[in-house]
Amino acid sequence: MTRKQIESWSRFVVGLFACVVYIIPLFWMVSTSLKPVEQIFQKPPMFFPSTPQLMSYRSILGLPTDRPDLYINTVVYFKNSLIIASWTTILVFLLAVPSAYALSRFKFRGRSAYLLFLLVAQMLPSVLLVIPLFVLFKRLGLYSTYLGVILADTALALPFAIIILRTSFLQIPEALEEAAWIDGGSRLQVLWFIILPLVRAGLVAVGVFSFLTAWGEFVFALSFLPKTEMQPVSLGVFQFIGMYKSNFDTMMAFSTLVAIPAVVAFMFLQRQFVSGLTSGSVK
Amino acid sequence: MSSLSAEELFFRNKRSFSRDKLTPYLFILPSVLFLGAILGFPILYSLAISFQKFNLTTLVSGKAQFIGLQNYIAILGNPQLKNALVHSLIFTFFSILFQFTIGLGLAILLNKAFPLNNVMRGVLLSGWQVPSVVTGTVFLWLFNLDYGLVNFLLTSLRLVHEPIAWFFQANTAMVAVIIANIWLGIPFNVILLSAGIAGLPEDVYEAATVDGANGWQKIFYITLPLLKSTIMAVLMLGFIYTLRVFDIIWIMTKGGPGIATEVLPTLAYRLSFINFNFGQSSAVSVIILAILLIAAVLYLKFTFGEEKS
Repeated sequence: MTRKQIESWSRFVVGLFACVVYIIPLFWMVSTSLKPVEQIFQKPPMFFPSTPQLMSYRSILGLPTDRPDLYINTVVYFKNSLIIASWTTILVFLLAVPSAYALSRFKFRGRSAYLLFLLVAQMLPSVLLVIPLFVLFKRLGLYSTYLGVILADTALALPFAIIILRTSFLQIPEALEEAAWIDGGSRLQVLWFIILPLVRAGLVAVGVFSFLTAWGEFVFALSFLPKTEMQPVSLGVFQFIGMYKSNFDTMMAFSTLVAIPAVVAFMFLQRQFVSGLTSGSVK
Repeated sequence: MSSLSAEELFFRNKRSFSRDKLTPYLFILPSVLFLGAILGFPILYSLAISFQKFNLTTLVSGKAQFIGLQNYIAILGNPQLKNALVHSLIFTFFSILFQFTIGLGLAILLNKAFPLNNVMRGVLLSGWQVPSVVTGTVFLWLFNLDYGLVNFLLTSLRLVHEPIAWFFQANTAMVAVIIANIWLGIPFNVILLSAGIAGLPEDVYEAATVDGANGWQKIFYITLPLLKSTIMAVLMLGFIYTLRVFDIIWIMTKGGPGIATEVLPTLAYRLSFINFNFGQSSAVSVIILAILLIAAVLYLKFTFGEEKS
C-alpha cells in the first residue's frame, strides 16, 4: 500500500470508531424500543433484541397488548404537534419570504441593522422569552391556546429562517428578474412565478427547519399548555419520565417516533441545512 | 439589459420615486412587527418586571409596584445565584471543551477523502435535529443506575467497582448532563469547523508538503492558525448556545439533586414557574441577557469585524 492509501484507511478506521460511539444513544433508543420487556432488564444487556417485536409501539398507540394500559394518548400528542408545527411553518413562510427577499434585493437604510438584529435574535434563549410571554399571554387570553405556542415558536424560528432564505435569494442573478420585469411582470408576480420556484431548495430547508423547531420545542409548551389534551410530543416524552419511570421500552418507542421526522428530514436535507447554518453563523 | 439597475427599471415603469423607496420597508414590515411584538417587546417587558414587585397576585391584578433595584439586590445576595452561575460556567466550559475538540478532530478527519466519508459525515451529524427532549430522555436511560448501558460498560471494563448512581450525587449528575449536552453539540461544531477548513487555500498545504511537513505539523502550523477567526466564532457561538441550555437539564435532573445542576436558565425558570417570583426571575433573566449580549458583541466582532479592514 502506498502512503496515501494507508492514510486514507487509517482515517476510515478512526471515522468508523467515531461513528460507532456517536450513534450509541440513537441505536440504544431504537434497540430498547424493540425488545421484549424481560430483555430490557437483562444483565448483561443485549445489544440487539434477540426477537425484535413491536409490543412497545402497540402499547403506546393504545392497541391491544397483554400488558397494563398506559395512560398516555400518543395519537393526541402527535396530532397536537402536527397542528402546532404546521401553523408555525406557515407563519414563518408568510413572514420570512418577503423579508428575506427585501433584504437580498434592496439597499435601504436600516438593512444592516435589521440583519444584525436577526443574527442576535436567533441567539436569544427561549427561557428569557417564556417568562414575559407567560405574563403577556395570561393577560391577552393566549395562555392555554395553540395560538400562543405557535406565535412563540414562530418567533424562535423566524430570524434563522430569514437568514437562510436571504442567502438563497442572493444566489439568483438579478438580471433574471430584470428580464421578467421588462416583459411586464410586477415585482410580486416575478417573485411568485419566477424567483420562488428557483429557491425551492431554500424554501424546503426553511420549511423543515421551522417544522422541526416547533416539533421538538419544549419550554413554551411546558409553560403555556397546561391541558394534557393540547400538549405536543415533547411533553409526551416528558410525561413518561414522570409517570412511567421504568417503562423503558415504551419510553424509547415514543422517543423513537418523536425523533424519526427529525432524523429522516436531516438525512434528505443535510446539504441545505449545513449550508444554511454556515451562511448564517460564520462568514 | 442587465446593465439597468432595479431603480432605473422602476423609473421606466413610471412608478413614483417615493413608492419605490417604500417598497423594501413594506416587504420587511410584517416580520419587523411580528418580531417586535413577540421577541422585542417581551424582552423589554422583562426588564420592566425586574424593577417591580411582581408575583402571583400582581399577575392576576395587573398592578405591580415599582421597587427599584430591590429584586437585583435580593437576587445578588442570594447564594442560589452564585451557585447557578458557577454551575453555568462549569457546564459551559466542559461542554465546549469537549464539543469543540471532538468537533475539530472530526472536521479535520472528514476534510480528506476516504472510503464512506460521506456516509460517516451523515451519521456524525444525525443527532443535530433530534429534539432535546428525546436526547435528555435517552441519556436518562443510558445513565440508569441498575440497567443503564453506561454503568454496564463501566463495570464490565472494570473502570468502576460499583454501578454509579449518576443522578443521586452532585458531581456525577453534572457529568451526566454535560455528556448529554456534548453529544447534542458535536454536529454543530463539526459543521461550522468543516466549512471553515474547506475554505482554507490549497496552495499553502501544497507548499508545506514540498517543504516536507507531515500531517500533524500541517494541522498545528497551518490549519489552526489560518482557522483562527472561525475558531473564535465557533467558540463564542458555542458559549452563547451552551449558556442558554435549559431543556436537557430540566428533563434529566430538574437542576437536582438538590441544586447540584442548577444553572442560570433553570434558576430563572424555577423562580417564575415554581416560586412565582417573577420580579427576581426577570432580574436573573436580565443578568443572563447581559452576559449573552457581551458574548454576542464579541462574536460579531470576530466574525464580521475583519471584513471592513
